[in-house]
Amino acid sequence: MILIDHVAKRFAAPVAGLGWQRKGWRIARAPQTWVQAVSDISVHAPNGQITGLLGANGAGKTSTLRMLAGLLVPDSGRLEVDGISVTQERNKAQSRMGILADARGLYPRLTARENMVYFGRLQGMSNLAALARAEQLADLLDLRPLLDRATDGFSQGERVKTALARALVHDPDNIILDEPTNGLDVLATRALRETLQFLCSPEGGSKCIVFSTHIMQEVERLCDQVVVVARGRNVASGTVAQLLAQTGQTEFEDAFVQLAFAADAEVPA
Amino acid sequence: MNRIRVLRAMAQWTAVFLKEATDAWRDRRTLRMVLLLSVVQGPLVLLLVSTLASEKENRIDKREIYIQGMQHAPGLQNFIERQAYAIKVPPVDALDKLAAGQLEDAVIVVPSDFEQQLQTLQMPSIEIFANSSSRGSSTARDVARKLLQAYVQERVALTLALRGVAVASLKPLDVQEHDMANANARSAQLTGTLIPLYVLIAVLTGAMGAAMDSTAGERERSSLEPLMMNPVSPWALALGKWAAVAALTALIALLTSLSFIPAQLLIRSDALQALFRFDLADAVHFGLICLPFAGAVSALLMATSVRGKSIKEAQAGNSLVLLVFMILPLVSLLNDAAEPDWYYLVPSLAQQTLMLHVLRAEPIALWQWLLPCAIGLVLTVVGLAYVGRAMRSNAVR
Repeated sequence: MILIDHVAKRFAAPVAGLGWQRKGWRIARAPQTWVQAVSDISVHAPNGQITGLLGANGAGKTSTLRMLAGLLVPDSGRLEVDGISVTQERNKAQSRMGILADARGLYPRLTARENMVYFGRLQGMSNLAALARAEQLADLLDLRPLLDRATDGFSQGERVKTALARALVHDPDNIILDEPTNGLDVLATRALRETLQFLCSPEGGSKCIVFSTHIMQEVERLCDQVVVVARGRNVASGTVAQLLAQTGQTEFEDAFVQLAFAADAEVPA
Repeated sequence: MNRIRVLRAMAQWTAVFLKEATDAWRDRRTLRMVLLLSVVQGPLVLLLVSTLASEKENRIDKREIYIQGMQHAPGLQNFIERQAYAIKVPPVDALDKLAAGQLEDAVIVVPSDFEQQLQTLQMPSIEIFANSSSRGSSTARDVARKLLQAYVQERVALTLALRGVAVASLKPLDVQEHDMANANARSAQLTGTLIPLYVLIAVLTGAMGAAMDSTAGERERSSLEPLMMNPVSPWALALGKWAAVAALTALIALLTSLSFIPAQLLIRSDALQALFRFDLADAVHFGLICLPFAGAVSALLMATSVRGKSIKEAQAGNSLVLLVFMILPLVSLLNDAAEPDWYYLVPSLAQQTLMLHVLRAEPIALWQWLLPCAIGLVLTVVGLAYVGRAMRSNAVR
């Protein structure tokens, strides 16, 4: 179970040039400007469900997931994984999550198996247990022909599958996926969708799955509930049917545009 | 609870070390180049030094001298020929060639009225032309000067002897020089600066690639972000990465030191070959001296690389560290006296001084070895503490 409660995060904007500016006759340091990446986002993702975080580019999805992963410290708000605070007990929380980052970040000189076992060892698994789990995941994700190949020459789909297997190596109860279908073809997307559906089913362990995306089809076909974010805020949440009813649209894409752009018009720049 | 945490951190440390070592081992092209350089560098340095020394030896052994106007000084010609030197007539444009650096020799010019002035005690002038910017020309000038001084001494001795003056009165003192330096110390004059410096350069350049790959390389490949999503202790991560980099650097230090043993076969100078002795014990001493330095350099280069978003960015910071560590040993060149104790506090200068002791076969006190080790340990701990902290804070590009 994942709880993201009213989190906010701002970043110092990179200063152009050398970071100095002329003020009359003297040169002074340019004032620091800030970018509010996340203003107020809340998500409650229960076990056995797929929760979609839907938003346009720059809406704050990745920053929110990075805070959840313990990579960024929120300026305010609360993040919990199975009741464990991410900010106070980061290591404990991280061991309960399997995260597929936007940057897949595979080690090109290691094989798919070695990539998986390495992360398994970092999660506290023994070498034997990590190797056995790699075999299981190879079957689940159809990775067997790739297991002993260096990941350097992998296709985009193969990379995503290997990175997902690496994230799942310690069999976490909570799975977080940042734009998992980016760059995948139809078949690979379909295979991934089936895998996620299996993982959140009782046979697959009733995992809690949160994934961010900007692709409507994925949300429609996969998500039990959707949180729509725009400009760093929640603008709507519910099932696909509820959101369609709320906006009075028949197409989910139209519903999303209405929700996201209506929010844009309301929030002062 | 604490025991479990320590065991878990050790398991993580081992996993990181094995992964980094495997990663470095698989980067065959880089590894091949780094190891090849470390093995080839030593022999090349010795070959270079011995070639320079043998050129000087050959010039002295050649016993040839350029003299213009030899016919005007039959007495001098007789003296030079008695010293078993062959007199050669210089080319017509010898002085122009000397000025242009095209003639690696010296030319003695005898004036036409030389013999006449000599007989009438008018103190004739004789000129030596050489180019001090050319090593060969300077050596030839020294030979010419010595020959002419010997001729003057012989003339004076004969003249005074004919007048009944005892030869001993011309030479009231018998000056005898004794060189107190042992054979190793004499050879270290030539090899003492270059060999330790090249060992240090091999350590520095060898560590740089691996240090950058394990830190800035993680960011460049975007693998740091997923890595830091694991509950890994910053110390386990920094120590594991450092152990792999330091192991490679120590291997390079050892290979470079060992390469000087077979390299002795390439020495082309007879004098240097007779003097330069570098055996397995010396190589082991070199290795022991370089070990703490390899550790400290690995940690420092990782610390300067860790904030780089790419290998290119990391290179800029590392160039500065390399420059400082390469310049510091040169301090000893400016000091002819015994080295002060503070040398042992300065990384790279301390190692160079200790390696010089080994080459000179001088004893090394325990504190002289322990002090640089302690400094290396402090630098390693500081560097790794920084790396551990910075890896987490820089996980997001």
